[in-house]
Amino acid sequence: MKHLRALVTLIAVVAMTVLLPGCGEPPRGIVLWHPYRGGEEAALKKGVLRFEAERGLKVTVLAVPYEAYLAKLEAAIPRGNGPDVFIGPHNRLGEYLLHRLVAPVGDAFPDADAPRYEPVTVAAITYEGERWAVPLASKCGALYYNPRLLPEAPRTLDDLAAKRDFALGPGIWPLAYESHTAYWHSALLHAYGGELFGAPASTEGGAGAPPGFAMTGEAAERSLDKARELVATRVVPDEASGDLVKTLFTTGKAASVISGPWLAGDLEDKVPYEVVPLPSIPGVGAMRPFLTVDGVFMTPEGAKSEGARALARSLGDAASAAERAEIGKQVVATRSYWSAQDGGGDAAALSPEAKRQRALLVAFHEASADAIPMPVSPAMNPVWVPAEQAIRKVLRGDASPRDALAEAKARYDDVMRTPPREAVSPAPLVVVVGLALLAAAFAVVRRVRAPGFRRELAASKPAYKYVLHAAITILVLVVLPLVAGAAMSFFAGTREEARFVGLGNYVEILTARGKPLLSHGSFYLTLLVTVAWTVVNVALHVSIGLVLGIALARPVLRLRAIYRVLLIIPWAVPSYVTALAWKGMFHRQFGAINAILVALGAEPISWFAKFSTAFAANVSTNVWLGFPFMMVVVMGALTSISKDVLEAAEVDGATRWQAFRLVTLPLLRPTLLPAVVLGSVWTFNMFNVVFLVSGGEPDGTTDILVSEAYRWAFARNAQLGYAAAYAVIIFGLLALMSKVLGRIGGGDAKEAI
Amino acid sequence: MSEAIHAASRTATNDGTSASVESSDTSLPEVPRAMRCAARGIKKAFGATPILRGVDLEIPEGTFAVLVGPSGCGKSTLLRLVAGLEEADEGAITLADRDVTHLPPRDRDVAMVFQSYALYPHLTVRDNLAFGLKLRGTSTAEIDERIEEASAMLGLAKLLDRLPKQLSGGQRQRVAMGRAIVRRPTIFLFDEPLSNLDAALRAEVRVEIRRLHDRLGATTLYVTHDQVEAMTLADSLWVLNGGLVEQKGPPLEIYERPRTKFVATFLGSPQMNLLSGRLVKEGGLVFAEGGGVRSRVDDERFRSELDDGREVTIGVRPHDMFLAKGDAPKIAELKVEIVEALGSEAFAHGWLTSSGPTVIARLDAADARTVKPGSVIPLGAAPTSIHLFDAATDRALA
Ligand SMILES: Nc1ncnc2c1ncn2[C@@H]1O[C@H](COP(=O)(O)OP(=O)(O)OP(=O)(O)O)[C@@H](O)[C@H]1O
Ligand SMILES: [Mg+2]
Repeated sequence: MKHLRALVTLIAVVAMTVLLPGCGEPPRGIVLWHPYRGGEEAALKKGVLRFEAERGLKVTVLAVPYEAYLAKLEAAIPRGNGPDVFIGPHNRLGEYLLHRLVAPVGDAFPDADAPRYEPVTVAAITYEGERWAVPLASKCGALYYNPRLLPEAPRTLDDLAAKRDFALGPGIWPLAYESHTAYWHSALLHAYGGELFGAPASTEGGAGAPPGFAMTGEAAERSLDKARELVATRVVPDEASGDLVKTLFTTGKAASVISGPWLAGDLEDKVPYEVVPLPSIPGVGAMRPFLTVDGVFMTPEGAKSEGARALARSLGDAASAAERAEIGKQVVATRSYWSAQDGGGDAAALSPEAKRQRALLVAFHEASADAIPMPVSPAMNPVWVPAEQAIRKVLRGDASPRDALAEAKARYDDVMRTPPREAVSPAPLVVVVGLALLAAAFAVVRRVRAPGFRRELAASKPAYKYVLHAAITILVLVVLPLVAGAAMSFFAGTREEARFVGLGNYVEILTARGKPLLSHGSFYLTLLVTVAWTVVNVALHVSIGLVLGIALARPVLRLRAIYRVLLIIPWAVPSYVTALAWKGMFHRQFGAINAILVALGAEPISWFAKFSTAFAANVSTNVWLGFPFMMVVVMGALTSISKDVLEAAEVDGATRWQAFRLVTLPLLRPTLLPAVVLGSVWTFNMFNVVFLVSGGEPDGTTDILVSEAYRWAFARNAQLGYAAAYAVIIFGLLALMSKVLGRIGGGDAKEAI
Repeated sequence: MSEAIHAASRTATNDGTSASVESSDTSLPEVPRAMRCAARGIKKAFGATPILRGVDLEIPEGTFAVLVGPSGCGKSTLLRLVAGLEEADEGAITLADRDVTHLPPRDRDVAMVFQSYALYPHLTVRDNLAFGLKLRGTSTAEIDERIEEASAMLGLAKLLDRLPKQLSGGQRQRVAMGRAIVRRPTIFLFDEPLSNLDAALRAEVRVEIRRLHDRLGATTLYVTHDQVEAMTLADSLWVLNGGLVEQKGPPLEIYERPRTKFVATFLGSPQMNLLSGRLVKEGGLVFAEGGGVRSRVDDERFRSELDDGREVTIGVRPHDMFLAKGDAPKIAELKVEIVEALGSEAFAHGWLTSSGPTVIARLDAADARTVKPGSVIPLGAAPTSIHLFDAATDRALA
């Protein structure tokens, strides 16, 4: 009886959970996703409420954090549980199209509405003749200036250049911006009529195809000349990062800076400022920054719903736009708001703060008129990276704009070269993999047939039981990904359109893509750099570790414990923190190291301008990170050397140095060798330091194999297969290296002690 | 003990070596040969703890000097001072008439055999032997010759290409000695070189060391706390206690005439029996009385200090006692607790009085069969074998 009741209850529960979602769920209405927060979110919600009230439709508004936005959209929309309408930046359109997340907006943006929006924003959301979003607001760069330093708003670059050579005061730059980035340099480039992105090199791939490299020709060269002139004449500081730009401005060390609306939020009351559109270049034209437009996109499902389309359209109307401008402080795309401002609006009734706020918006709006919308392709790295390298090179004075740009174009072509042809037959691959498997099988058979194997196996059966779970974990977490990675190396192209090419990637790598073997960016040159990097680092690690380890092991040293802790600290700090700190110290104009050099009367060094100094900077950072490990190993090994033996050597007539060389060192060897092997492997793969300190500068020459592999995967048109082939080669090299090093030391390591 | 006595007596007959050392407490007499090693007024403290408090040491050429003393008395410290591994707080050290007090070990030309042997673990036996010679720039031919000679002497010929860890304890010990021998130093320093060996091997190597010394005639300073080694090896014995040299001289002399209660008990096994008592004069004869003993005293030996009623500690070595048979004079009666029969001889342990300390007496093997635990046996001892120590100062009466 009891059992029956339990059974019935169970069935009921199961039935409910299965059936309820289907029938019991209330209609969710139109679903809207957005990445907004604070005022922007509040303004959006107001607009939505009004829409609900007018139309009697329900709208579910969901804020999704920006970091996870695209991933969430990609995951939810194809499964049918995504939004109908979502808000996002227009330059992601390529990605949206690639993953089929969007459809044309249709009557949410009828032709009749076109005059309603700023033309530049309409251009941004139009792609291949279709409108893909209702433009809401735009973001672009403008000039912030400090009225205390510059009473007059600077209108031209010459106004600023007039204040060169610290005319405004010691250490005060007339202008600061991230001059070495392609994003900000583009403002200059556009002024000269140049372009960064061109039409896609190939028409395959649709929206996913990388744009062409358009930064060539006279306009581009003149823009670079201008940028170089600004830096060389000390109008603009070198290589200022976004943070540095901000710091210079807030501390009054930069009279003006170029940045986006986000800077205003960081400035608060730290410094007085005004905003105006970017200055123009006399005789050339206005500087034109890149522009990003936030729009309301329709998902393929949502585009079919009239309500969703109506919602999207309503968000672009005058009332919503006014709310977003007033509450959300956005530079709205709807023109009616701005025409109201032109007439003076209700300015008289505003508080000074609100007035200021409005002035800021007006300035950004004015700036947006000349701005160039960002292209929509998701694969812009193949252009960004070489362009940026060329800009840096010119700014450093290492190359003429023409040469630098030619080189950048060549690099773009190299990255965008036609990937290895589709493998005609998988035969070579099958042969290679087959041979490898055969060798493995042969080794296994030999082992099995070795005398005593059966007995050993039987004896260690319980042991195998104990390690089984560990073995499975390793299989799943280490071996399978490794195999998957290796498998990936047989394909070419991006993730979406991978083509099987057999050993094509390996052939390309090992033949340096048909260029001279030691040409720039070739596998062999990078390998050479990597080997030099490993040898120099490990040698320094070991020698510094030895000296300090021995010094600290001496009982005579006072405060030994304190030194010990101090010297282990570099090891305890996360390596990327250290790497960033060192990168800062090597900055040409603001770094501590050059400050010391200057104080000592030496010329400041542009550390990342030359291979040798950039390499040295990387090495110093890595040595700083790596010596404590060797030091600790040495200290440990020293305790195992009997004091008597050293005293015996002393009595036998050895000097300190002889005792060290002939007794201590050979006795440390067995312990040091495994540490050296480990250290070599770590250093060989020390991505953090290379990536963060020199970042491959100058020109990718200080890149080591892993950072090169990373660039193929993430900075050059996502050639994952090519990167995977690099990774497999690195793996093979490291396996070989450990084996060889182990053998070198193995012999006497076993004998001693 | 018989071996010790044998060795010591042989030393005594070997003139020259023992001639330089006398039992007298005051300064040593004129020395016929150069002092190979001399230390004067050596003081050494570790932190606030004084370890050596003014030690003088003199080792003539070719002498085998042995430093004994209880554990922790500073023997190794003194040796290390001579080697240069420690620096003295005060005092001076000369080696072959050269003041080496402030020289590092490598400039002293000494060779040392460590208790742990301290062989170089990464070098073969041959390279271990050659190490010191190579450092001094000896020619290869000479090195080979010396190694051959030493390895023949020590039986190392077959081991030359092995590493130390492939050797037994005894072999390592020999390599350590070989390493010292090839150097032909001013002085050999040994720090308890036998203490890591088992008893049988120890006895064997001990003899070997003495044999080597006799063959090489090398000046040696040898540290041990094993009194058998001390007695058998030494030409001159230095007893160290409390940071001072308590007595020095040929070992047999020290054995027979210990100058303090400490020396008396430290040398000799089993230990000397000690009983408190006093001196009694009766009819021109002097008796030592107390703790169940009443024995005549050799008044030849203690001429002056035999005041009537003087409080003394009476010392008799077990080996000097015997079972008093017939009308032989008896000095005490022992209530036997146990009998240790060693075959050639036996030791009876027991009490003289109910409250007294344990007393040990040597018995002949034959007597040992008749003496049963619980029985009371009469003991005799020659008056010349009775040692007397001042009860207050523990110094021997003279
Ligand atoms: N480096 C040192 N620091 C502090 N104290 C020390 C040091 N070396 C020795 N001592 C102390 O000095 C004293 C004498 O030591 P030493 O090694 O000379 O004794 P030893 O006579 O050789 O004893 P043993 O027969 O046990 O070897 C000991 O109490 C020891 O603790
Ligand atoms: Mg010692």
